[in-house]
Amino acid sequence: MKATGRFGTLSLNLYFWAFVAFLFAPLVVLVIFSMNNNMTPTLPLSGFTTKWFHQAFSNGELTGAVARSAGIALTTAVFATALGIMASIGLMALRGRALSFAIAALLLPLVVPYISLAVGLLILLQALGTGPSLGAVVLGHAVITLPFAILVLLPRLRSLDPAMSEAAMDLGATAVGAFRLITLPLIVPALVSSGIICFVTSFDEFAIASFLAPSGKPTYPIFLYASARTPALLPDVIAIGAIVIAASLLLVAVAEGGRRWAERKLVGSGAAIENAVAEPTISLAGTQ
Amino acid sequence: MSPSDRDGVGKGEVSLVSLTKRFGDFLAVNAIDLQIPPGGFFSLLGPSGCGKTTTLRMIGGFEQPTSGQVLLDGRDMAGTPPSKRPVNTVFQSYALFPHLRVFDNVAFGLRRQGVTRAEVGRRVGEALELVQLTSLARRKPAQLSGGQQQRVALARALVVQPSVLLLDEPLGALDAKLRRELQVELKQLQTEVGITFAYVTHDQEEALTMSDRIAVLNRGRVEQAASPRDLYEEPANAFVADFLGVSNLMEASAVGPSGKGVELRLADGFSVEAQRGKLATRGPTKVVIRPERIRVEPAGSGGPNRVPGMVTNVVYLGSGLQLSIHLAIGRTVTAFVANIDEDTASTWAPGTPVTCHLPSTSLRVLGNEELSEPPPTARPPSVPEPIANGT
Repeated sequence: MKATGRFGTLSLNLYFWAFVAFLFAPLVVLVIFSMNNNMTPTLPLSGFTTKWFHQAFSNGELTGAVARSAGIALTTAVFATALGIMASIGLMALRGRALSFAIAALLLPLVVPYISLAVGLLILLQALGTGPSLGAVVLGHAVITLPFAILVLLPRLRSLDPAMSEAAMDLGATAVGAFRLITLPLIVPALVSSGIICFVTSFDEFAIASFLAPSGKPTYPIFLYASARTPALLPDVIAIGAIVIAASLLLVAVAEGGRRWAERKLVGSGAAIENAVAEPTISLAGTQ
Repeated sequence: MSPSDRDGVGKGEVSLVSLTKRFGDFLAVNAIDLQIPPGGFFSLLGPSGCGKTTTLRMIGGFEQPTSGQVLLDGRDMAGTPPSKRPVNTVFQSYALFPHLRVFDNVAFGLRRQGVTRAEVGRRVGEALELVQLTSLARRKPAQLSGGQQQRVALARALVVQPSVLLLDEPLGALDAKLRRELQVELKQLQTEVGITFAYVTHDQEEALTMSDRIAVLNRGRVEQAASPRDLYEEPANAFVADFLGVSNLMEASAVGPSGKGVELRLADGFSVEAQRGKLATRGPTKVVIRPERIRVEPAGSGGPNRVPGMVTNVVYLGSGLQLSIHLAIGRTVTAFVANIDEDTASTWAPGTPVTCHLPSTSLRVLGNEELSEPPPTARPPSVPEPIANGT
């Protein structure tokens, strides 16, 4: 829709920038104060420094928590995406009521509060005779990220012409071979998207991690939550926060670039004709 | 890939023995018996939902028959997966692998067979040459036109040297002009490679153009299997007559022999003689005549087998006129008139009274429709006995 008139254009622009400010102001503030030469994040700014970054990196507990969370997030991303592929392939074979039921069951973690899930998982683990562990955190995160993986992968699989797998088998491939040689390469962009969504979701998840992480091995969100109450640690936390923001932006940019590159590689550059691979329904960088 | 290269490979004869496929309550294919002779171009023709694609998919192994058998060169294909059948398919959507270059698409089947690198290069090269795509080997499918994609699909299936090539409406997605070009090309290609082609289409003109033999399917059954000429000239029933081009069906009553044929009484006291079809029929019957066989004459021309009428509608086709003529017997028929001079169109303008000559040699008696279908126990005599584990 096109805004008409000077007033329309002006107010639309205003709205747009207000919206951008609303989204990004907290992040910008964080980055600014990470370089402010003052123990407390208050105005006016008192000068530029990088000492908080040095201090943060020499804080072994803090960097340990970040590394721990990154490890958990990476494992979760791989695990949930693998489960997501299998679940989506299973869903492709279902029709009608069975399909609705299976999808509802698989997407249930989306609507269950994480805190309830966390309590349930903890009780279950204790009933099984194991206590909190980092592995348990990965399992918990896999439960909550699996719906995202399915929501990304299923539309992509559905967009593939089923005759392609049949053609591969017709030409001598086994069912597994057809999946490996045809289906898998064609869903790489969706695998990347799924991996990123699962990674990010796991990386900043607090409720489940706080129940399932063993004491003395906090994840990054747990550490942040605890240290936000300790004024002496605040500058470190802000500095690491700024780095995480930068890393996230970089990750998404690289992944989106990679996804587009893979997409182009799949169908060839300058493709003028409609092809078997539709645009995935969910793209991290939003509309294209 | 000349026929002589194919020694030791099956001849490519397909026999369907009471082949049946049921999807829930829907009987898609109803006890079909069919012989697809080796080395020919065979078409399965019928309207959508007639079971032609399902039949093809059962031959390819993508659907399991509910009952009945698919025999390939006498060998029962039950339990043999598509990857193990000496049959390959050109899919309606082509189903090219979009992430692979043309070369790798065509090489896919050979690589699954573990053919050596050099051999893959040689045979893919030959196959691409056959379909005239050598220069596009490094392109991705999306960078090709529809007609080129269709050829890649063809090369990809032919390169593994199947005994039978199945084609599921491969020209369906192309525009009319390209279709006609590719029809001729496909037929030439089939003659060149000598592989049995089983071709599914709903386009009667396409089937007539290309096929050595056509099976007309309707509601899961074979209505008639014959050569294009026989199907067009000697349709077994009203469905076949109507499906292959426009046909003029009329109700009549066969009253007795007349000359070389049978005397038919049409409505309103008009009588004609028919010399084709089921001449022994007596009583109510259907009679059919092709539009191009009706001779449209000026009103009042005399002679036997003539019925007066009036032109009600004219479709200008360029090379001719398609006339709708309301006959005195209360039936509107379609007739073609060649555009022989510049006055043709004005001569046969709507409202013109005419006389239609229905030559006795072109009138076909279809008999009583209810009796035209063979009883369910009747089987074509040519179905061979299944040979278990034959080699």
